[in-house]
Formats: sequence, C-alpha cells, structure tokens
Amino acid sequence: MNEASSFRRRAARRPFSAAALGVSAGGLVNEEVKRTVDLSTHLAKITTELVLSNQGHSAVQSFILSVEPDLAPHLAYIGASVKGDGEDDGLLEIQQSDIHGHSGDFYKVHLASSLAAGAQLKVKVEMTFSHVLKPFPTHITQAERQLVVFQGNHYLYSPYPTRSQTTRVRLASKTVETYTKLGNPSKNDEIIEYGPFRDVPPYSEDTMKIHYENNTPFLTIGSLTRTIEVSHWGNIAVEETIDLRHTGAVLRGAFSRYDYQRQSDSGISSIKSFKTILPASAQDVYYRDEIGNISTSHLQVLDDSVEVEVRPRFPLFGGWKTHYVIGYNLPSYEYLYTLGDQYALKMRLVDHVYDDQVIDSLTVKIILPEGARNIHMDTPYKIDRLPNQLHYTYLDTFGRPVLVVTKDNLVEHHIQDVVVHYNFNKILMLQEPLLVVGAFYILFFTVIIYVRLDFAITKDPAAEVRMKVASITEQVLTLVNKRLGLYRHMDEVVNRYKQSRDTGALNSGRKTLEADHRTLTNEISSLQARLKAEGSDLAEKVGEVQKVDSQVKELVCRSCQEAERLVAGKVKKEAYIENEKNLSSKRQEFVGRIDSLLDAL
Amino acid sequence: SSRLFAVIRFESIIHEFDPWFNYRSTHHLASNGFYEFLNWFDERAWYPLGRIVGGTVYPGLMVTAGLIHYVLNLLHVTVHIRDVCVFLAPVFSGLTSISTFLLTRELWNQGAGLLAACFIAIVPGYISRSVAGSFDNEGIAIFALQFTYYLWVKSVKTGSVFWTIGCCISYFYMVSAWGGYVFIINLIPLHVFVLLLMQRYSRRVYIAYSTFYIVGLVLSMQVPFVGFQPIRTSEHMAAAGVFALLQAYAFLLYLKDRLTKQEFQTLFFLGVSLAAGVVFLTVIYLTYTGEWACIHVDFFFPRHTVFYSHLGPFYAKIHIPIIASVSEHQPTTWVSFFFDLHILVCTFPAGLWFCIKNINDERVFVALYAISAVYFAGVMVRLMLTLTPVVCMLSAVAFSSVFEHYMGDDTRREKPPAEDSSDEDDKRNSGNLYDKVSLLTMLMLMLLMMFAVHCTWVTSNAYSSPSVVLASYNHDGSRNILDDFREAYYWLRQNTDEHVRVMSWWDYGYQIAGMANRTTLVDNNTWNNSHIALVGKAMSSNESAAYEIMRSLDVDYVLIIFGGVIGYSGDDINKFLWMVRIAEGEHPKDIRESDYFTPQGEFRVDKAGSPTLLNCLMYKMSYYRFGEMQETEAKLDFRTPPGFDRTRNVEIGNKDIKFKHLEEAFTSEHWLVRIYKVKHLDNRESLDHKLRSVVPKQKYTSKKVRKSYLFQ
Repeated sequence: MNEASSFRRRAARRPFSAAALGVSAGGLVNEEVKRTVDLSTHLAKITTELVLSNQGHSAVQSFILSVEPDLAPHLAYIGASVKGDGEDDGLLEIQQSDIHGHSGDFYKVHLASSLAAGAQLKVKVEMTFSHVLKPFPTHITQAERQLVVFQGNHYLYSPYPTRSQTTRVRLASKTVETYTKLGNPSKNDEIIEYGPFRDVPPYSEDTMKIHYENNTPFLTIGSLTRTIEVSHWGNIAVEETIDLRHTGAVLRGAFSRYDYQRQSDSGISSIKSFKTILPASAQDVYYRDEIGNISTSHLQVLDDSVEVEVRPRFPLFGGWKTHYVIGYNLPSYEYLYTLGDQYALKMRLVDHVYDDQVIDSLTVKIILPEGARNIHMDTPYKIDRLPNQLHYTYLDTFGRPVLVVTKDNLVEHHIQDVVVHYNFNKILMLQEPLLVVGAFYILFFTVIIYVRLDFAITKDPAAEVRMKVASITEQVLTLVNKRLGLYRHMDEVVNRYKQSRDTGALNSGRKTLEADHRTLTNEISSLQARLKAEGSDLAEKVGEVQKVDSQVKELVCRSCQEAERLVAGKVKKEAYIENEKNLSSKRQEFVGRIDSLLDAL
Repeated sequence: SSRLFAVIRFESIIHEFDPWFNYRSTHHLASNGFYEFLNWFDERAWYPLGRIVGGTVYPGLMVTAGLIHYVLNLLHVTVHIRDVCVFLAPVFSGLTSISTFLLTRELWNQGAGLLAACFIAIVPGYISRSVAGSFDNEGIAIFALQFTYYLWVKSVKTGSVFWTIGCCISYFYMVSAWGGYVFIINLIPLHVFVLLLMQRYSRRVYIAYSTFYIVGLVLSMQVPFVGFQPIRTSEHMAAAGVFALLQAYAFLLYLKDRLTKQEFQTLFFLGVSLAAGVVFLTVIYLTYTGEWACIHVDFFFPRHTVFYSHLGPFYAKIHIPIIASVSEHQPTTWVSFFFDLHILVCTFPAGLWFCIKNINDERVFVALYAISAVYFAGVMVRLMLTLTPVVCMLSAVAFSSVFEHYMGDDTRREKPPAEDSSDEDDKRNSGNLYDKVSLLTMLMLMLLMMFAVHCTWVTSNAYSSPSVVLASYNHDGSRNILDDFREAYYWLRQNTDEHVRVMSWWDYGYQIAGMANRTTLVDNNTWNNSHIALVGKAMSSNESAAYEIMRSLDVDYVLIIFGGVIGYSGDDINKFLWMVRIAEGEHPKDIRESDYFTPQGEFRVDKAGSPTLLNCLMYKMSYYRFGEMQETEAKLDFRTPPGFDRTRNVEIGNKDIKFKHLEEAFTSEHWLVRIYKVKHLDNRESLDHKLRSVVPKQKYTSKKVRKSYLFQ
C-alpha cells in the first residue's frame, strides 16, 4: 500500500521532473563503470566509480542516480563525490526526484561546476543498503553456520547507457553455496568478479544472486532514543536507550551453554560483545537496563575516545534481542558555543554504537535549558521534526524546551553533527540558585515565626510564670555580673592610684562606682520585687545575693580606704599587704558565695 | 551509613526476594495510581489462579514509597522509583533511631535515649532488615512499632487524648505496613492488664486505652487486607477482653464512689467473681488453643498455620513443611543471638533489672515488651527483629545507669566531700576507687567499641549482599561479579513471549515476576499449599509424569537454580528435599520421601543415590550435559572427574541425561540458572509418501519452475 501511495505521489509530480530530465537524459553516457559490492558485513555497500561523459550538445548541471526498485526501500545512505586528481572534492548535493515510466528511486546530483559538452567527469557514488542480506535458511541450530542470500543487479541501474562495466563482489568468507554466473565470473577467495559487460542499455536489470556464508554479527538497533540534556552549568548529559536485535538466522532448537563454552565454533554467528566509541571527554559512563547495572562491561579510555566494551547480559543469538541504556556526561565547553545571548550547540545527532551499525528508527531529544528561545536547528540531512515538548527536572518552574526529531534507517554515514541555535538570557542562570535560597529562606522564616509566636489554644499560666521568672533571673544574672565587674574595675582604679597617687582619679572612680552600684542594686531589688510578685522562691536567693553583695561592697570600700591610707603613709607597707590579703580572701569567699547562689538560680 | 555498603559495593538494586515483589507493586502504584493499585489483580502470579494484590498486601510500604516519589516528582526532583525504594529502608532506620531515642527518654532519661539511638543505629539485628535495597515491610514497620510505643507510653503518662490519637494513627500506619502489628495489639492490652493487676490503675490508663482500642480498631479495619479480622480472629480477642475488663473495673470504681460499703461489697463480690470467671475461662481457652501465645502474624502464610509454628519450635517441622522450609522460620540459635546483638544480649537483662527495680507504669510496659519479644525471638529467627529494639533500649538503660553512677559523679560532686574529710586513708581509698572506676569505665568503653567494630563487620560481611548479584574473590583479591540471575531473568524478559508461564520453585517467583516480567506459577506469597505441592510434584517426578503436570498447568518454561559449577550452596538440589516433602504432603500416593534416599537413609546425588532421585525432573534438569563437563579450568584440582559437582563435592551419578519433552532454552554463564523449554506435543505421525500423489500435478510442475528460476 505504501508503494502505491508513493507511486501516486510520484505521478503527481511528474510534469516537473520529466521536464527537468529531458535536457540531460539525452546526452550523458556512463563511459566506464567500476562497481564494488561489499557484502562482507551485514550491510550491502555498493561503491560505484563511474566516468560520465557528456555527449550531448549543451553543458549539464546535474545527473541522475537510480536505485533498483527491489533495493530502493532498503537504501539507507547515498552519497556522491567528484573524484579529482588527488583528493575528493567533498560530497555533492543530492535531491530525490523521479522519472516517469521507470520504477525505482531516483536522485538528482547537482554538480559543482557544469559539465561541458564532450567533457568527462569521474564520480564516485556510495550507497549503503540495510537488511538486504537475507539469512537462508532462516533458522539454524547453534552448531550451524549462517548462510545468507544477496539479491542484486549485475548491471548498473542507470538512466544512461553504459559503455563498459565491471562488478566486483566482496564476500564475508570463501564458502559460497551458489552464485549467478552471468558472463562467466571469476571467483577468487572472497571475491567474485563479473564483467566486463559492454554497451549495456539504460535501466537494465539482471538478478545477481549470491548465497554464501556470513557469520558477521547481524546486529540491528531496532530503536534508539538519544537524549541530550544541556545544562549551562557546564555539563551535557547524553543518554541512549537502545533496543538491539540479532537479525540473522534465528536460532532453532536448544541453546547449550556447554557447547558454547567448550567449542569455539559453536554459535559462531552469535554476538558476545561489541565496542561502542564515545567522545573522548565522556565521563561517568553508565550501562544499565531496567533491572540494574550490567556488570559485564569494560571501559577503556583512549587518547581520542572512550571505548566501552558493551557486553549484553547474554550472548545474542539469531532472533534474540536485548535492551539497554548507556549514558555519559560531557563538558559543555567542547560542544556549546556562545556569543552574548546566542548559543549554539554542535553535537553529533547520532553517535557510534558499533561498527557498521544499522538503526531502524532513531529519536533524538535535545533538552535545552529552561528559558531558551528562538530555537532553530540545522540538520546535516533531512530528518522529521516533531512538535516541541516540555521537560521538567530539578528546580524547574516552567519547563525546559525539548526538540524531538526522528529518522528511520540510519547507518554509520549518518554520524554527523547537528547544530542547534538558541537564545538564552544569562540572568536566568540565577533563577535556580535563587529558588534554593528562597526555599531555605522560607523554611527558616517559618521556623522563626513558629518559635517566636505562641500558637497554643490554651494558656498555660505555670509555664508563663516560669518563663517570666527565667527571663527575670536572666536579667538578674547579667546585672549581678555587671556589679562584680564594677568591683574589678574599682580594683584597677585603686591599683592605678597606688602608682600614680592621683587622689582625684580615685575619688571620681569611687564616685562612679557608688553611682553605678546604686543603680544596679536598685534595679536588682526591683527585679527581686517582681520575682516576689510572681511568687517565685528565687526572690529569697536574690535577696541573699544582695546581702552578700553589700558585704563585698563594704570590703571594696575598705580596701579602697586602706589604699588611701597607704598612699598617705598612715600604714606600713607590710601591714597593708597583710590587710589587703585578708580583705581579698574574704572578698573571694563572698564572691564565691555569690557565684554559688547565682548557679543555684 | 553502614547500610549503604551494598549500594557502594554493588549498585542501587533491590535485594533478595520479597523486596522484588514490593518493588513491583510500588512500581505499579507509582505508574497507575492508588485506586488502581488497590484493585490490582495480578494475573502474572499463581497461574492460573492469579492474585488480588490490593487486598492481600499490607500497602503501607508501597504507599510510603509511592508518596515520597510523588512528592519528589511534584517538586521536579526526578528520582527514579527504584532509588526511592532502595533508600527507603536506611531513611526509615534513621527515623527509627529517633523514635527509639524518644521512647527511651520517656522510660529512663536522655542519656539512655541517646545510647539507645546509637545502638539501634548499628545493631546488626536491625541492619539486616534495613540495608539499602532491602525494600521490605520490616524496614518501615520497626519505625512504626517504636513510634507507636513511644506515643503509647506518652499517652499513659499524660492521659491525654491527643497523644493517644497520635498513637492510634501511628498504629494505623503500622497495621498498614506489617503483619507484626498483632504484636502491638496484644502487648498494649497486656500492659494494661498487668497494670490493673499491679493496682496501678489510673484515670490516665483508662483514657489512653479506651481511646486507643476504639480508634485503633476502627482505623486498623480500614486496611483492606486486615478488614474485619480485628473483631473476628482470636489474636485480637485479648485486646477486646482487656477493653471490657477495663470498662468493668472503671465502672466498679465509679460504683464504689456512689454506694455504701455494704452494698458495694455484695455487688463487688458478685461482679468480680463473674468477671474473673469469664476472663479466667477465656484465658484458659486461649492458652489451650495456643493462640494466646501466638501474637505475631506472619505476612507470608495463612494465619492459622503460622500460629502453630509459633507455639513451639518443633511443631512446624513435623506438620507443615512449607513453613519449616524457610530458613527464616527456624528456631533461633544462641549463635545468631550473639551474632545479631553481640554485647547487648548480655547487658540487656541488667537493663531489665534496673527497670523492674525502679518500676513505674511505662517500665512495666518495657519489661513486658522485653519478655515477650525474647520468647518469640527464641521461636523464630525472623522475630529477632522485634527483639532488637527493646534490647537496644534496655542495654542503653544498663550502660547509661552504670556510666551515670561512675562517671557523672566522679568529675564533680564526689570530689569536694573527699577533700573535705581530708583524711589520708580516705584519700587513698578514694584513689583506689578512682582506679577501679576508671578501669571499669574503660572496660565498658572497650566493650562498646568492640560492639561497634562487630556491627560494622557483620554489616559489611553478612548483610550487604543483594543475593541477586553474587561476588567471588580471585586469588589476587580482585572481585568477580556473578550476575547470572539477572542474566537469565533478563533473557526471559527479552526473548520469550510476553505471556509465557514459567515454572520454578516458589523462592524465585517474585524475582521472575519482578525482573523477567513473566507469569509464574508459584511465588513467595505461599498462600496456596496445594499449588506449590503440585510444582514440587512436577519437579520430583520423572520426566513423563512431570510433563503431564506441566501440560496441565500450561507451563512453557522451567527455571531452576543450579550451583554445581561454581559451588553455590543455595541451589535447587539442596532445597529438593523440601519439594519432595511438600509434594508428599499433598500427594502421598505419588511421592514418597523415602524413595529419594539411599537404603542407608542418605541423600546422595552420586552413583549410590536412589534411582528415583537420579531420574527425577529436577535432577535431570540440573545435571543435563553436566556429565560431559570437565573442569578444565579448575584451579584447585586437575584430577576431578567430568561432572564433578562442586557444591556437594561428588561426581554425579547419572551422566547420560536425555530429554524427550524438554529442551534447554538458556543457561547462564556460570550455569547458575538453567531454563528449559517445555516442548509442545509432537505433530501427529507424518503421512505416508503414497498419499502425496493426491496433490495435483500442475502444482508440482509450477514448483519445479520456480525452483529452476531460483538456481538458474
């Protein structure tokens, strides 16, 4: 049905394409064609080197490549380049088109410079087909080897006549069951050479069929979902979810581990492991599936890449499949380019999974930072873009934009860079830290509110009194300590007086002491009164403190007077010292008592 | 943090067997919502019966994990549900140690609380159930248990309805989380009962218990799995009885206030003799039926069967092989007491003594808790878990009172009097005393240090293996990971049809359902003994008889565990006798245990083994093609013969094994898991060639034409 619809589409476009081809079809001739059909892997890679000559009358801007109708649906990649004297000139631009009256796919190749009448041009065309090697028999046992059939064309399928052509087929092994023998081909080990065929008319087809042994891994990625998450904090996280399938001949009968372990050629077409090459800066590589880490892998860090030896949990035999996730982090400076508010992400749209990979269906999701705008994407080849999605992850408020693109049937040639341009306001970088700060702020604030305010429905008078008393005692404590501080200060004043003999200073010091002491004592006694009012028995203790304190005060005054007398020479030094000792020991005792009382408060 | 050894050594993965089921149902809950989960009919288990999961699980664990996951995702913290499940147990053990602190503080003082919290944080008996990845009911249930007790003690102390309601809610959580809630609903009434007996009745107790019983009862009936059991089954009757008794007692007290002494005495005599008679008879009855003692309900088994197993250690072994076959249900040995509790097992009687010496309401409770828990832990290994918290608390009490006595005093208050006396002799004495004290405290500290070392050692060695992933060590100390289980399960998941039915012994049912996502016949929820017996019968019959059974059960694949290659001792051959016993229990005609022994009564797999054994399905599946295997890479001994079983250290008896109805489908790398495919019936006899001539001739020629085209 698909065929039919595409045919109708083609028919609708016919007038244009017919007119476009009308000019060139007449003049071009394939002068010399060398085809190489590489069937040594599970892909069919057909490389055609052809010499085009323009035998028309006008210069030609483009030429047509065509693919046989049988093979066309399997075409994964087509590329053409002009072969110069030395190096290749790079790929030419290719556009799909069609030709009325002939089935198959047609591609119009635009030449960089027009081909003048009578001139010749060397062109190299590469085509890769997936799933064209069919296992036959389709089911084999573990001990058997895998045979496959390739069905192609002996000739170059071309809208132009061909003067001379050779076809060389490279196989995976020497063992060939049968092959078509058009023109008596020569077989040499793994190579079969057909031709040369002369003067082949346009659109000639002749089935080439080769049945041979091919034990290379027929590994196919059923679907690959690649998620690239860009963070502006310096990290790009890549995660690939891979569905793998062995698309070779299906295992029939038992799988015997014994044979598999003991005989090296048992299960020769099965896949034990393969290598995935990750970018050189890949870090934190993980390889897991739904039920946890797959412990059978090895990681090797090379100079220019990181190699993961991916070993599925079990060897993959024909028809078996597995599923896994591989992911890693990349530093963003290697892939993210910025100019002011403009950013460009340049990354591989699809990366290497294994050599000669085939991906049946690819989905790439690129998650850009929250707040990215004006997003547009430059893809290296045509790819379907799905509507953008939103993705929420850590600390997101309105979601990150996600670009989603899909494509079917990809091979190694599709490992190319994609560029995503977008604008991003750098202020938005602050959003996430601010969010965290805000959250903590709110948390602490609520705690503060909760602790400071009383939410109890009922009042607890006892607790209130207790709290009041506690606060009063607190005040008493500070005041008493302050008062003791005053005495110490006074001591200093006295000492200074003893040296300087400045009576004025002493007197003023004494005065301030008196004044301060009075205010403090008054405050304390008022607090004491309040304590009494609250009915606390601490009031008595405070009273005691007051009593002791008055004694201390007296002692301080005494020592002060003593000092005056010493300075005045009324007492002898020895006596003074004796006195002072007495006083200070007494004071010590009193202060100790005050302290113990305070402790008891 | 020592609970995270497993994650660091291996990975963030669910351990063991039951957690896989919990994980699977949590996953279901997280992806389909709560009501879908409650109504979940799991057709993947117990084929062809199925299982109503929503009504047969305690949903507390799944709901907790699902809720955490939901809240985190609401905040856009994209954590996978698996990680939530893996780290739930360690998080809850943190909460457990907090609630243990609170409970011990209520019982004794702050210092003891702190010690108890430290003990519970590292004690192996609890760590065994709360390492990261052990996503099991017990992990959160112990927290709920401790917290309920804390709130209960608090409410008895204060007599406030507020605390009691809190206690009820916590009890509800416990009911929704673990079958062990029966322990609470019996211990609390017991506590009240003993308080009554000790003349410690007070209004507080009355308020607390009345509220608790009614609200707790109503709440517990909200859990679908529990339903109406609290008013129907015997294990809840003690609570009801105590409730009635308490009401009667309170009523009597009330009457006492109102009546004259004379009136009261007659009434009292009548009432008390009546009530005492009733209670006495009930107690007698319960004791007689043995259900009084059985206050723990097992999650896994039909209730009544487990009760009997709690009665005495040897009951189950004789009567119900399926319960006895679980290693967790064996009676506890002294070694495992010491292994799981270490020094605490010696110190906790001291704590108990301290508690009884200074008795008050809540210490009565903890004493009862301790005594009952010790009894149950003695019966079954897995009940060690309920013992652990109380042991921690009481040991903490013991240590803390010793330290308080010796350390708290000598720094401050003992000094001044000693100096005041200023007597030479006294000083010398006190000096000696100090030496002794410091020696003693040093000794105690040493003990505690050893305890900590032991805990870490046990945790890292015994309890940190996920048992899904095995690790072996090479001679040079490097580690090999044997990931065979997951290899095989993942193979099943990827390479078999979505609806195939896998037969295996019930141990692996949850893992197959969780990791391979395939239908199983029996699993760790062993609610249907006859179904298990049928599987056991299939495993222990010969191939053709087994084929009949497997056909009738629609089995597509058979999965067995075989450790003979690497020497893994927990394999199916070692469990085989249980299969035989369970099968014999249901099908005594077909299976006889004695057939599987040698005439000398030995269970041997070598040549001397009984022929029934050597030809049964399990034996054949385990050793299929094993006889050819020569230990070429055997590092130890080159002389081992082919087919040398390293688990049982014998050469197997039957090396020539052929299958008629089975086919090896997959064998993991180290042969640990072997999966066989059950072949469909053979096609009918192929028709004779002569009949082929009926085929029209034209078709024949067309075929030829096509052929020639193919190979032209």
